[in-house]
Amino acid sequence: MRQNIISAIVDLNEPDEALRPLTSNRPVGTLPFAGRYRLIDFPLSAISNAGIRDVAMFLPKSGRSVQDHIRSGNSWNLDTITGGIFTFPYVAEKDYSDPVNRKRYYDDYLTFLRKSDSRYTIVIGAGNVENINIEEVLQFHVDGNNPITVLYKRQDPKTITPDEAALNISEAGDVTAILKAKEVTPDAVNHMLPMNMGVYLMRTSLFIELMQNASEQDTYASLQQILSEAVEVYNANAYEYTGFYSKIDTVKRYFDANMAMLDEANYQALLFSQRQIFTKNKNEIPTFFAKSSIVNTTLLGTGSHIEGRVDNSVIFRSVKIDRGAEVANSVIMQNCKIGPGSHVKYAILDKGVVIGAGLKIEGTPEQPIIFAKGASVLHEADIDKGVQR
Amino acid sequence: MLAMILAGGQGSRLGKLTKSTAKPAVPFGGRYRIIDFALSNCFNSGVNTVGVVTQYQPLELNAHIQNGASWGLDEKNAGVTVLQPFASREGEKWFEGTAHAIYQNMDYIDLYSPKYVLILSGDHIYKMDYEAMFNYHKAKKASLTVGVLPVSMAEAPRFGIMNTDETERIIEFEEKPKQPKSNLASMGIYIFNWPTLKKYLIDSYATDMKMEDFGKDVIPAYLAHNEPTYAYAFHGYWKDVGTIQSLWQANMEFLEPNNELNIGDKEWRVYSRNDALPPMYITKSARVNNAMVVDGCYVAGDIEHSILSQNVKVGAGSVIRDSMIMPNAVIGKNVTIDHAIVGERAIIGDGANVVGTEDDIAVVGYQEVLGKAVDKG
Repeated sequence: MRQNIISAIVDLNEPDEALRPLTSNRPVGTLPFAGRYRLIDFPLSAISNAGIRDVAMFLPKSGRSVQDHIRSGNSWNLDTITGGIFTFPYVAEKDYSDPVNRKRYYDDYLTFLRKSDSRYTIVIGAGNVENINIEEVLQFHVDGNNPITVLYKRQDPKTITPDEAALNISEAGDVTAILKAKEVTPDAVNHMLPMNMGVYLMRTSLFIELMQNASEQDTYASLQQILSEAVEVYNANAYEYTGFYSKIDTVKRYFDANMAMLDEANYQALLFSQRQIFTKNKNEIPTFFAKSSIVNTTLLGTGSHIEGRVDNSVIFRSVKIDRGAEVANSVIMQNCKIGPGSHVKYAILDKGVVIGAGLKIEGTPEQPIIFAKGASVLHEADIDKGVQR
Repeated sequence: MLAMILAGGQGSRLGKLTKSTAKPAVPFGGRYRIIDFALSNCFNSGVNTVGVVTQYQPLELNAHIQNGASWGLDEKNAGVTVLQPFASREGEKWFEGTAHAIYQNMDYIDLYSPKYVLILSGDHIYKMDYEAMFNYHKAKKASLTVGVLPVSMAEAPRFGIMNTDETERIIEFEEKPKQPKSNLASMGIYIFNWPTLKKYLIDSYATDMKMEDFGKDVIPAYLAHNEPTYAYAFHGYWKDVGTIQSLWQANMEFLEPNNELNIGDKEWRVYSRNDALPPMYITKSARVNNAMVVDGCYVAGDIEHSILSQNVKVGAGSVIRDSMIMPNAVIGKNVTIDHAIVGERAIIGDGANVVGTEDDIAVVGYQEVLGKAVDKG
């Protein structure tokens, strides 16, 4: 795509309470996913695949893991001589009753929007697993009647909570408001709800206008609030996204999304599509499967050493699973070690967790047991370090 | 010190595998290409300026090396330069041998005015600290230091052998001696004082005594002129993978846990350029034992004592045993592959057999299609 057609805003300040302890020291956007990715790889790859070269990234409180992952942005072709990734540091002072703080909040957006000099801007979150074709969204927007386009995914009401954001779509097909799911009537035919993906596309000039208006008010409104209100004022085009989608906002959803990648159809559709998912490259050695290993229905990153048994699991880079150890239905992150004879089932082990010998760690499909980054579980008593929520 | 990696060899003894690519670009060990070892050794030894001399089928090698960033060799005023033959007013600069390749690229070397130049070969599997060899070179006040590998006396007749005195100074060089006097085999690794080597080369090309090859021409001339020439012994894993048999053998050795190469050593990493591919997927029907598998692979069959490189697909009911499969190969269902090397992007149709023996490794060439086409899924 020619430069300056479209720029992107990625805000990494997403609610993470329901994902702790996995998000105690990282934002939702840098949660490891599917054996080798971070969630932010999905929006950045969509941006890269659409040829976008101007990206504003609003860093969360724990920005270190983001900086470490993104570096120059070259993994996503975002280190060009014009444009690139512009990072905006976390603003610790969130007292927006103070007009100085309020001004700064809007100024950051306005600075980027004016500098990018692009005709359109897309706002995209970092906490979803999705593979969006932004060029197609742009074409849909250009062909549409409304000044804003909002993306949605049809979802079964049983899989969502009543307060999640859904679109109110008129008979003419326009989005007239963003409401809570419980306020929206499911589709009469298939009983699905059009759930808001939090992805908005509009002309940059309109975006500037919205932010400028907001900055002149006496009260604070967040970006998502401003966009939601704008949809009510102007109405929006409803773009239906039909690919794999998972909003990662609870431990259960994080766990289920990882497990969903073990379904071959999802794995192929999301990760082997024409629109490649890029991520930071690491120089790991090949994964070694010992003579004693038994591995089935499992995704693995490189650099691992497997001597034990692994079923229905997602194993990240450089994991060591000793002889006689059994891992099932679990997410095992980078640099974990599982000692000889230990059994791990329905668990999420964050980076660098060490499980000693002969231990039994077991959660449930509804409440997988979580061990926080670097936890050392060498004795029976240490199993209490595990969290189920 | 500047390094020159000689990567121009055709590697004709690798048969089908090097029909369309240079030997240093041949995949190794699942995640690597042969030249990664020399490039990583350079970076790990603090050699930050590297010329890679290519000539034969350089496309894949160029695509692999790019700007050298994958090996940390993209510093300002240094880095990797891929050198290809070019035409100049003196005529075309194709090279006839190892020393001739350096002669043809003197202008490149002189850009950096180095005092020393390290000459390497791009087709060996080994991890070596060139800095230690460089310190030896300076301590010995040598004009030339030759990297040598102590081999068994039985093997010595296959190599170029350096005979040394008690100070490790080389007094004689014998190419493949029937009756070897020493077991120090030349590794094709040299450190030269650049101004001296340059003078020898220029003088030789001004006459009929053209120095084309380091072993045949340069070393004998250095010895004849009493240039201080020393042998630096390297101890560790070193493998010339110049034949199908040795390439297969080296891959099988690479599979051995605790092999001498110790690829997992974080203090001496071997880097490579890799695409961002999805994690490997091992299906319900797969059995993977004694094997190495990397990203992008999809495995539904049995893998026994074998290496799968990036993005290899293996269908259900297939058995791969004692083999090395190169990147992007697609293997259908109910295929048997035994004692074989399968080239990049080869397609093995359902039910096909590729069976070799330990003494006669079966080879499927790059992009070769066997049997009926399979769904590349």
